[in-house]
Amino acid sequence: MKHIEKRFDAIVVGAGPAGATAAYQLAKMGYKTLLLERGRTPGSKSMFGGRVYIRPLKDIYEDFEKKAPIHRWVKKERISLVYDESATTIEYTSNKTTSFTTYLTQLSHWMANQAVEQGAILLTEIRVDRLYKEDGRYRGVVVEDEVVKSDVVIDAEGINRLLLEREGIVEKLSPDHVALGVKEVIKLEPDTINNLFGLDNNEGLSWILMGDVTDGIPGGAFIYTNRDSVSLGIVVLLGEAARRIDRHIYILVEELRNHPLLYKYFKDGRIMEYSTHLIPEDPSRLMPKKLYYDGLMIVGDAAGLLLNQGYTYRGVDFAAYSGYIAAKAYEKAHGNGGASEENLKIYQKMLEESFVMKMLRKFSSVSRLMKKERLFSTYPQLINLLASKLMHIEYDSYKLKEAFDEARKGRVGLIHIIKDLWEVSRKL
Amino acid sequence: MTTETEVKKRKISRIEDILNNDVWDVDYEPHIIVDYSKCRECEWKPCIRLCPAECYTMVGGEVLFSYEGCLECGTCRVICPEKAVKWEYPKSGRGIHFRFS
Repeated sequence: MKHIEKRFDAIVVGAGPAGATAAYQLAKMGYKTLLLERGRTPGSKSMFGGRVYIRPLKDIYEDFEKKAPIHRWVKKERISLVYDESATTIEYTSNKTTSFTTYLTQLSHWMANQAVEQGAILLTEIRVDRLYKEDGRYRGVVVEDEVVKSDVVIDAEGINRLLLEREGIVEKLSPDHVALGVKEVIKLEPDTINNLFGLDNNEGLSWILMGDVTDGIPGGAFIYTNRDSVSLGIVVLLGEAARRIDRHIYILVEELRNHPLLYKYFKDGRIMEYSTHLIPEDPSRLMPKKLYYDGLMIVGDAAGLLLNQGYTYRGVDFAAYSGYIAAKAYEKAHGNGGASEENLKIYQKMLEESFVMKMLRKFSSVSRLMKKERLFSTYPQLINLLASKLMHIEYDSYKLKEAFDEARKGRVGLIHIIKDLWEVSRKL
Repeated sequence: MTTETEVKKRKISRIEDILNNDVWDVDYEPHIIVDYSKCRECEWKPCIRLCPAECYTMVGGEVLFSYEGCLECGTCRVICPEKAVKWEYPKSGRGIHFRFS
């Protein structure tokens, strides 16, 4: 095995939001940092739904909101419950915004460039084959039989944790702990997007749909407006999908695009890209027992650090912030004499004290809620039946109570509704 | 207004046509190896419906896998009930190249 002479302070595996941010912060603090990416460019293996919450990123990158590749600021939020050819929608509009739409391919690329500007060395088209160990300590990586050494390795390899599995740090993923996201990006002119969705230039829409969009499989659908395209896709719990799906999954996305309620938005668009990714769904099961080892820290999706809030995901800000904390933790460890396991313990501690772990703990029961069938089939049906009774007036009109009783007749008992409401209000 | 069936008939694209919008740098060697003997024992075959790129198809009653259109999501690796899928990332720089995701 060849050993490459140069020795780095840190090697970061994967130039997604977690890895690129770790590399950026490490380089900024003056550490010799090597950022390795298996794709042709940083971001070329990145995929997400479409929205990023900005606040944590502003702590990390200077002038983030001016420099980052932001497509549109989300100023319109829609949540729809879909049943058959109808939908009941809550829409919230405000000039205040805390999130934006973009392509993660672009954002990862931008973040990696920031790391390079700070002095990190970025090598693309490098697939790390395994982590390198010396005397039981992680001290670099192996790439095609060549060893590249470093004081610390930051594992930002993403949800498919081939390296960590090889080390026996995590077990193979279970279908019940991940969700599958599949999306189409549809090209539309900015003016067309503005007119269709009632947006100004730079204003964006986030639209979550639940109910009759996933063939009854727990999950949902999403629509995000980008500058000159719309991202449209579905997310399904993988284990449930495996048990229940009775046609090809891409059909669900195509049916969404051609849904009687949505068809008008996409009829003049053409598909620019089709992409897919696994999503950490159950952090309590996915998270390695600890996120630090001698010479190693684990960040981002690889660490299971993604928050499912039921009606929204927070992945990018959580990933980036964990990378940022890992870099800060290395600085502390370095000051204490090196990246020993004992010294890197501070990473876990800092993460526990940050919003990342606090929020993951707070929402830890959402993943159980996601498995409740009634939320994805019965309630969307009930609420749309109720709405149709109230809205589709011919001769006789319904009183609310009357419409409600008729809508739920034979579908769900009052006691169940009250119990479910209570559970949702507690867990969400 | 068009009925749903008409929309379906007219507008649901074929997966091949959807995938035609993507860009790959296909390796000469497959990064995923499927042990078909295990597929023959498998009645469930969730890969057929869940691989988003439809890399797994049924041909003459047997599973056929082709790696070229793989989007590297890892679904097959996670759901295969027979552990028939030996899964690696494509070699350096190869495989899917997302641009607008």
